[in-house]
Amino acid sequence: MAKSKLTIDGDSPDRWEAQLRKGAVEMAALASLWNGRLYGLEVIRFLADISQLQLAEGTVYPILNRLKAEGMLTSEWVEAEAGHPRKYYCLSDAGRLRLRQMAEAWSSFSQGLSRLLEPVLQKKEELNA
Amino acid sequence: MREEEQIESYLNTLRVSLGPIAIGDREEIVREIAAHVRDSSEQSGASIETVLKRLGPAEKLAREYRDGLLIRRASRSFSPVLLLRGALRLATRGISGVFVLFTAMFGYLIGGGLLIVAFAKCFAPGHTGVWVENGRLVSAGAIEYGLSPHAHEVLGYWIIPLALTLGSLLFIATTWIIRSSLRLSQRVQARL
Repeated sequence: MAKSKLTIDGDSPDRWEAQLRKGAVEMAALASLWNGRLYGLEVIRFLADISQLQLAEGTVYPILNRLKAEGMLTSEWVEAEAGHPRKYYCLSDAGRLRLRQMAEAWSSFSQGLSRLLEPVLQKKEELNA
Repeated sequence: MREEEQIESYLNTLRVSLGPIAIGDREEIVREIAAHVRDSSEQSGASIETVLKRLGPAEKLAREYRDGLLIRRASRSFSPVLLLRGALRLATRGISGVFVLFTAMFGYLIGGGLLIVAFAKCFAPGHTGVWVENGRLVSAGAIEYGLSPHAHEVLGYWIIPLALTLGSLLFIATTWIIRSSLRLSQRVQARL
């Protein structure tokens, strides 16, 4: 199923879909750091490339800031070749645990919903055929 | 305006707008946004003006940090003042926030009123209570002047434990509702 991309400034063609995605942003931000540390811009690009979550750039930093304040993330400044330091974020142990719980809940919920929606999607395919 | 001046102007506005945030945290935020602007421009080839536009106005960005801090503090607090401030901030975000604010005001006003009645009964027993006349409620709470001679008080000193219990329960329930709403709001603060 093709996923529609949402515009940057929040003018979504479908407010329901926007709300659905908003609810997943925290989990997505944590998941982007599962394989290692990233800095803010890398998180933004990772989310856009992998999950098609195109967040307004100004939104990501306050979210990372909050997750750090809640102890889900740690951060460190690292000197980069670019000539200026970058703030890298990393999942803390609490963040890993929280993400695992979220992923399990999400997976179980989405599997249930997929079963529920199966007839709806089959009907749509029949109509398209 | 030169690009460096554009960046400095944006960062200065951000720094000033971050006002209530502790100075160390404020400078770290400014430093991170400065790094983002430079990285984003260098890596995408976009002009500084475009990158700043994508970030949104500095005041708005600062407000997201401030809101996050206020809501985080309020969601862990038991202070009605801080909780009401958090609820007020939620009310600026949408209709569900307005509902939370009204619930908060209603809960604290009624709960506070009941607690005041309980204390008032100790100091002015003749002026505090629940009065009925011919089976109809004519007044409840603390009153300044006398009622009709046919009205009589029904609860007596029982109003003290009753008002204390109901007032406390209302306070606790209101606090729980606001804290839960604030926590939930933090999960959906993103702009897509």
